[in-house]
Amino acid sequence: MSKILVADDSKVMRQIVVRTLRQAGYAGHDIIEAENGRDCLDKTIAEAPDLILSDWNMPEMNGIDCLAALRASGNQTPFGFVTSEGSDDMRARAASTGALFLIAKPFTAETFEEHLRGLL
Amino acid sequence: MTVTQTGPALADVQAITEQVWSSFLGDEEPLLQRFDAPSAFPAEQAWSAAVSVHGGWTGSITVELSVAVAQALTHLMLATDDEPIEDADIADAVGELVNMVGGNVKSLMPGPSALTLPVVAAGRAAHATDLTEVARFDAVWGGEPVRVSVHAPRA
Repeated sequence: MSKILVADDSKVMRQIVVRTLRQAGYAGHDIIEAENGRDCLDKTIAEAPDLILSDWNMPEMNGIDCLAALRASGNQTPFGFVTSEGSDDMRARAASTGALFLIAKPFTAETFEEHLRGLL
Repeated sequence: MTVTQTGPALADVQAITEQVWSSFLGDEEPLLQRFDAPSAFPAEQAWSAAVSVHGGWTGSITVELSVAVAQALTHLMLATDDEPIEDADIADAVGELVNMVGGNVKSLMPGPSALTLPVVAAGRAAHATDLTEVARFDAVWGGEPVRVSVHAPRA
């Protein structure tokens, strides 16, 4: 069983992401949640998840700064964004900082299946 | 998609709203465009939320919903049925709705730019006088009003 960390400042969106993970066939995995980038950073270090799915815009610390801090510390946990913003500029920034993918909201279970295939 | 200098086309705002709506709220109850909406949002009690974009394009995106719509969409997004919901849950759901619509509008406009976190209020939306409405999508959902509007600085 793998561990997936879902980071989003919206409780509603965390629930939707968790529900979508189940629909995409990841029901058996251990899912933990973080409320912002700082919380995501702390829980990545404490819980050592196998995959991080993170929002971009969050209070305290945003997702891209969290990813940059993880990579700067040598942490290579697979990281994907789930964000309302899917512009080319954001995708390029995500990729150059070390994200594996960017899923734009709104999304479907099929989008999750497509991006998560082979990762866990 | 069509983009003008001042803001996104109404057709794009409508397409984005419908996509967000059907993805998270399902197609069981369709969101129907309304052509005869008055200028003031037609609900006695409403929830509203806004995000702003600053950068290559500057503007704000606002969602207004009747209380009945706000409550129903919160139940659907949380996948709860008849359990009571808190105002904090409604604020969260309505904020996430405008975040998704606003993020997608931002992606259509010239960048790079930054998107603010949503600001949510129980009540109709108010707009600064230095902003002008560039697109407005009025709809009804289950007979209740829904409005998405885009404002940009006056030229």
